[in-house]
Amino acid sequence: MKTVKEVLTEDGTGLHYGNRVLLPFKVEILKIVIGTQIITDFSKNYDGAHVRVTDLYTEVYFYDYKNLSEQLSKYEVIKLVVVQEGEDIFDFDNHVPIELEIHGKHKLLIKKIPDDLLFFE
Amino acid sequence: MNKSFLVIIFIAIVSFSIASTSVAQEAHKANSATDTELVSETSTHNVAHELPNPLMVIPFVILLIMIATGPILYPHFWEHQYPKVSVLLGSIVVYYYWFILHNTLSLLHTAAEYFSFIALLASLFYASGGIMIKVDRKATPFLNVAILLFGAIIANLIGTTGASMLLIRPFIKINQDRIKPYLIVFFIFIVSNIGGALTPIGDPPLFLGFLRGIDFFWFIEHIWYIWLPTIALILIIFYIFDSRNKEYKEGREYSGKIEFKGSKNLIYLAIILLAVFIDPNVMSWVPNLQPSPIGIREIIQFGVVILAIKTSDEKILKYNEFDAEPIREVAFLFIGIFATMIPALQLISHEANVLGDKLTVGMFFWSTGLLSGVLDNAPTYLNFLSAALGKFGLDVNTAADVKEFMNIDYIFLQAISVAAVFFGAMTYIGNGPNFMVKSIVERAGIEMPSFFAYVYRYSLPILIPVFILVWLVFYF
Repeated sequence: MKTVKEVLTEDGTGLHYGNRVLLPFKVEILKIVIGTQIITDFSKNYDGAHVRVTDLYTEVYFYDYKNLSEQLSKYEVIKLVVVQEGEDIFDFDNHVPIELEIHGKHKLLIKKIPDDLLFFE
Repeated sequence: MNKSFLVIIFIAIVSFSIASTSVAQEAHKANSATDTELVSETSTHNVAHELPNPLMVIPFVILLIMIATGPILYPHFWEHQYPKVSVLLGSIVVYYYWFILHNTLSLLHTAAEYFSFIALLASLFYASGGIMIKVDRKATPFLNVAILLFGAIIANLIGTTGASMLLIRPFIKINQDRIKPYLIVFFIFIVSNIGGALTPIGDPPLFLGFLRGIDFFWFIEHIWYIWLPTIALILIIFYIFDSRNKEYKEGREYSGKIEFKGSKNLIYLAIILLAVFIDPNVMSWVPNLQPSPIGIREIIQFGVVILAIKTSDEKILKYNEFDAEPIREVAFLFIGIFATMIPALQLISHEANVLGDKLTVGMFFWSTGLLSGVLDNAPTYLNFLSAALGKFGLDVNTAADVKEFMNIDYIFLQAISVAAVFFGAMTYIGNGPNFMVKSIVERAGIEMPSFFAYVYRYSLPILIPVFILVWLVFYF
């Protein structure tokens, strides 16, 4: 399985279905910004987002969205701060800011957040 | 999203146009009204109507409470349902005025003011959304003060909305290593509100005053000496706050460059500003489209919205993460606010007229201000303007009366204008750009204070003492 850094280097893609995104790597998610919602509390199973890491992928369900492709605007992206599974989560150098862009029917473009895009960890 | 927003506006215009066809007949009937308690409408026809039942203020109170508590106490419900809540509460008041009071004139004028408001705000929002300013410099308290001062000045040329949209991203970017909510709150205080007190373009209430007959340059002539010390005082307070923020990233290098892109959209901004003057009350050759609630000016400004959507640079929109949601949110919430506050404002106006001589300039300053903080400041301004004119036996619907008032009793007009603009900074709902700035900042991942935290942490301890000083020096 690829690491998040490899996926970013190879312009990898994920998937989106309704309110669910699937990322082709195993990561710990520290923060998500979607619309004006800033999600850092992943302890609840009814609010914000639910994260599940399987052996093959990481998936996120956004409770406040029914269909991401309809509810996110053309220029909007989902922003996350992630740490590759197995790496030291307490080392800030291992924190990777990524953006997820809805593309087409189910394709999800995964990119490193450009330096000039406003995003705060 | 853009399409649905435009469709809603179109449907609303058509509905109000249909409603307004009965206005002329109604005006005729109303001339013979014999009610004991009457309220004079702020209209081109001087029509008297029954005062609304005070219970009709309840939808407005509910809406204000929900705007304040929704995002905190029931965010799921609020995020999805606020358009329905706003429209539903507004509809109760519309129904009451239309079918019980048979007062479609108030509805028509409110609709006209709403469309003027949203046309200006939306066009500035879309046009400035296609402009990119990048500043690669190290943030210092002095540089931040300079940006806020610059924002305060240009707010008078491109509106507080335009200035806020243009500067909020570079302001955040410069401060990226030391970002704190106070930076954004002071930005809202100065650029999104107080800065725009010098011209009718600066803030919507002054724009409504200009449409009623106040000279364009009256504001700068009579307000600059209040504006300048107020801005200076708040900037000094900001400087003290900002000097204590020592969070800088070691080793970062800055090129010092300032990059500007999107000059096409500057032309759009110029069109929007020129359109401000295209009004039958300002230029006699401009056709009057009444009873339509939108005029030539609004058609031009909505045209700029469409033009900006179609032609703005994709890369800049992507950089700005352009999203119509902030303006959609303002458009929906203010449908409810404008509609539900009709009875509240009429009752206030009536009381002000009844109390007459007992009302001092200080009272006008505080009542206009405090209400502008929690209501929209544009219609609040107009109603207090009407009340102040009424106190001197003048009519807000007569341009000659307004001109007489602005020259002879200018201190009342000055107090109302200053209060409406300045106090708009008191809450997120005091002025349209406040909400937009909050939304952009949150999309960047920055937690903003809640509605109440904004008031008790920043507005009450910082703004209220400054406003008390303004009152003591100029209106006590």
